[in-house]
Amino acid sequence: MSTKQKSRWADDEEDAVLEAQRKKEKEEKKRAKAEKQRRADEAAALRAAELQGEAAAVADSSNNNTELSSRPAKRRRISPEIEGVKVELPPAKLLRFPSPEWKKCRSVEDYEKLNDIEEGAYGWVSRAKDSRTGNVVALKRLKMDNANDGIPVTGLREIQTLMDCEHPNIVALQEVVVGEDTSKIENIFLVLDFLEHDLKTLLEDMSEPFLTSEIKTLLHQLTSGVSYLHQNWILHRDLKTSNLLLNNRGVLKIADFGMARYFGDPPPKMTQLVVTLWYRAPELLLGAERYGTPVDMWSIGCIFGELLTKEPLLQGKNEVDELSKIFELCGIPTEETWPGFKRLPNARSLRLPQNPVSQGSVLRAKFPFLTKAGSQLLIDLLALNPGKRPSAQEVLEHAFFREEPRMKSAEMFPTFPSKAGQEKRRRRGTPNAPMRGNVPEIKATDFSGIFAGREDEEKGGGFSLKLI
Amino acid sequence: MSHLSNPLATAEQLFKSANNPLPIELLDSIRFYTARLTQAAGILLCLPQDITAQANVLLFRYWLVDDVMRHEFSDLSAAVVYLTAKISASPRSLRSITNVYAYLLSESSALSGTPVPEPDPQSYYLSEGTYVTRRNKLLHIEGQILNALGFNTHVALPHPLAITYLQTMDVFISPRTGKAVAKRAIEYLNAALLSPQMLYLTHQPASLATAAIYLAARDKGVKLPDCEWWEVSDVREVVNKQEGISNGDGEKEDEEAEMSRMLDEKVVD
Repeated sequence: MSTKQKSRWADDEEDAVLEAQRKKEKEEKKRAKAEKQRRADEAAALRAAELQGEAAAVADSSNNNTELSSRPAKRRRISPEIEGVKVELPPAKLLRFPSPEWKKCRSVEDYEKLNDIEEGAYGWVSRAKDSRTGNVVALKRLKMDNANDGIPVTGLREIQTLMDCEHPNIVALQEVVVGEDTSKIENIFLVLDFLEHDLKTLLEDMSEPFLTSEIKTLLHQLTSGVSYLHQNWILHRDLKTSNLLLNNRGVLKIADFGMARYFGDPPPKMTQLVVTLWYRAPELLLGAERYGTPVDMWSIGCIFGELLTKEPLLQGKNEVDELSKIFELCGIPTEETWPGFKRLPNARSLRLPQNPVSQGSVLRAKFPFLTKAGSQLLIDLLALNPGKRPSAQEVLEHAFFREEPRMKSAEMFPTFPSKAGQEKRRRRGTPNAPMRGNVPEIKATDFSGIFAGREDEEKGGGFSLKLI
Repeated sequence: MSHLSNPLATAEQLFKSANNPLPIELLDSIRFYTARLTQAAGILLCLPQDITAQANVLLFRYWLVDDVMRHEFSDLSAAVVYLTAKISASPRSLRSITNVYAYLLSESSALSGTPVPEPDPQSYYLSEGTYVTRRNKLLHIEGQILNALGFNTHVALPHPLAITYLQTMDVFISPRTGKAVAKRAIEYLNAALLSPQMLYLTHQPASLATAAIYLAARDKGVKLPDCEWWEVSDVREVVNKQEGISNGDGEKEDEEAEMSRMLDEKVVD
């Protein structure tokens, strides 16, 4: 109390004026000092430039005697100068290209194995330590198929695409190492960043799904990784929760590029036998040979749904079942909503109800707690017509990420005990990515059964099925 | 960025390869004839030129790591074509590749000299046994190549860049001369692939494309902009006749490009 009074007494007008003056003086001093410093800097820079210019000019004069050493720095020209009209341009800022090198693979013996993480359809992964640096990495061994065509092309593509990628949300390939015996290259290991979790195992072990803010963090990171890939003309073609890794600092990284490949514009003919069934876009199921980035966007939609409920969104037992589950959830395509879908190879054997008016998307009903923007994003990502799905860039700018609750920052992300770091993981039956090989013939996949069961249910309900 | 840039050879690698006990002329011949063999195989296999070009770049990169005499040149060429085609959009079967190389190495080969002899199918017939042996050899070398390159098979080519640069300089305004310049520039770039100077290992695609345009425009007497247009393609202009293989930071080496022109003529003959 007393101090307050005292200050009140002391702070009369005169004091305030004095204080203001002092402040002003101080500020002026500061400004003067900054000005001096700036001038000194400028002078130094000028001197440096002059020195450099002189050095360059001296160097030039050794080649070209017409140049005077006292002349200021100037780019030498070879093309004849046009007198008078030449305008001096500042030296151009040239792009410096990174030039990494190539060298022989190191040996896998340089790494000390810590524990196995998992064995996938495509190779096994283990946790290991670099004996030189002590860094913990994930070693992924390439599976060699026995076919007589050398090192499998899937592995080579994975290495090629991963080597070209550099993004915080894409797992980094540090190097490729081989077995000790290099007379025959059979044991090939990818040295990758080690991350504590994969999203699939994490979701299985959680009692409650992620919070909306956390889902936004994950989805945003996933989408920025995918956006980077698409900008660099890479299709991932096997996005699913078990291929998304998460570390204890809340950073998500896309992994497993076994199905990835470069594409072009217009898209080249590619196999439809890609993407794990539950995340496979309808155009792939219908046998499209030319497809593009929307197949990855569909998978992102499936992952979004899975993050919301902890359960994979579309768990079909086979291609036919998967497609019927998709139509159940997203409605039935019509010539208006998806022009030209009937011309896709597998659509011919498809039996669709004749008046599909009542068959809209039930996504909004399935996720009642999602905001309007959220469900709109989900519906857009799971659009049957690939042309209607948003690009990765559009998703990043979506209103969903701008509304409350905001994205949780990665640093604030909760941590979980790591299965990969400690113990053998439990495995649940997720179908594997399709194996390379012959695409089953169109006739072999019979889609006629999709609505077969419903025919009985809908009897008399004004619902007719037509063979197209 | 990766679409525009390549890994480059280190000074140490170039030094080591120059210090080979073999005479330099012999090394140059080996590089040239093997690269020409790859190019011929690419044509017979109907491979897109970018794949053949990438194969030759990988071949030269391999030789900076492993000794030139380590594998039979033709086997190495076949293996690198197989590997490059495999990871591309137009793979070729081992059967086709071994057949093509059997022909190219036979007396009936169009490469065996002028006049081209009457083809004698007997001389390039590949029995099942020989095929299996060759195939296994190729697969073995494929692994060796990948090991030597650290599995880095990325090759960015200057060809599309050259066309883009020409387009930005409005060279195609006159379709006839534009086409001629473009054609000549591409010829330079393809010829440089065979050059034992290994230009693709020491220079970034932007520099190669710019040099090719410069030479092509000079050949065809086409006027390019007066200003320093090469700066737009991030190339510094330095004409330095004294320096041999440069430090590889984007310089325009007239001498080396001249060299590639000589080679170009050699191939056309």
